[in-house]
Amino acid sequence: MKLTITATGTATEADVSSARLGQRFGRMDLTSQLALLAVEPLSSHFESLARDRIAIVLAAQSSSLPTDTEYWKGRDNPGGPSPTLFTYTLPSAAIGEIAIRHRITGPNLCFVGSSQDVLPEAADSIRRGEADACVCVYANVISPALAAFIRRPLTARACALFMQPGENGLHLWQENDRDMEALCATLRPIISTK
Amino acid sequence: MATSTTDLKSKIIESLNLQDITPEQIDDEAPLFGAGLGLDSIDALELVVMLEKNYGIVIKDIEEGRPAFRSVRTLADFIDARQVSS
Repeated sequence: MKLTITATGTATEADVSSARLGQRFGRMDLTSQLALLAVEPLSSHFESLARDRIAIVLAAQSSSLPTDTEYWKGRDNPGGPSPTLFTYTLPSAAIGEIAIRHRITGPNLCFVGSSQDVLPEAADSIRRGEADACVCVYANVISPALAAFIRRPLTARACALFMQPGENGLHLWQENDRDMEALCATLRPIISTK
Repeated sequence: MATSTTDLKSKIIESLNLQDITPEQIDDEAPLFGAGLGLDSIDALELVVMLEKNYGIVIKDIEEGRPAFRSVRTLADFIDARQVSS
């Protein structure tokens, strides 16, 4: 089965402050906000599909560690840490927010992994007949507190691709197209000229 | 001194990270949950934390706070009553 990438989106922390994606948006953790923003340009492709046939595969490179760190820091606050923050101390939290916003009820999978993990699994889910299309998301957030803890550079970014059967999208997916971030970067100039 | 509902609304907005909502847009008598502001159960817990952080009021049983969380007005009255009794 041939698979094609029909839409793509990216987001960085600079996009978050001006974004307005409903009343819940301001309460989300940064990973969920970035993932939602990256998925937003894909949404017009969902319209013709049954929502229970759309899968979501997410790789959260830093898991929920940035949020875990913030939650832990709040333990000595009067009243304790934020209950809202607690709901985001799961690496898969962004999948829930994407599913709620776009009413997607198909299968989902979360990796604590790299941008190489998503696309092969998305392709398999479509080829196995578990879904008719897949929202592929990669997010990596290393907050200042986490950067100090794990000694990695700061980052806050996400990218998303929509994979569907066929060959007439933006890019015919090949098995060696494993790196989602690289593919997003490649496709972005193509989209901007269309 | 009675709790200012305007001040309380600002604290609610801040603690719940409500985007694009100003204190003036919140009716003192409007329901906080369901209709009205549309808050949910996690927001209720966040309000419990807000009460302890800002007013020193500890709610150990969420059922105890349920009538107080009907509106901004009932919440302000609850704060006043608890501060008088302490």
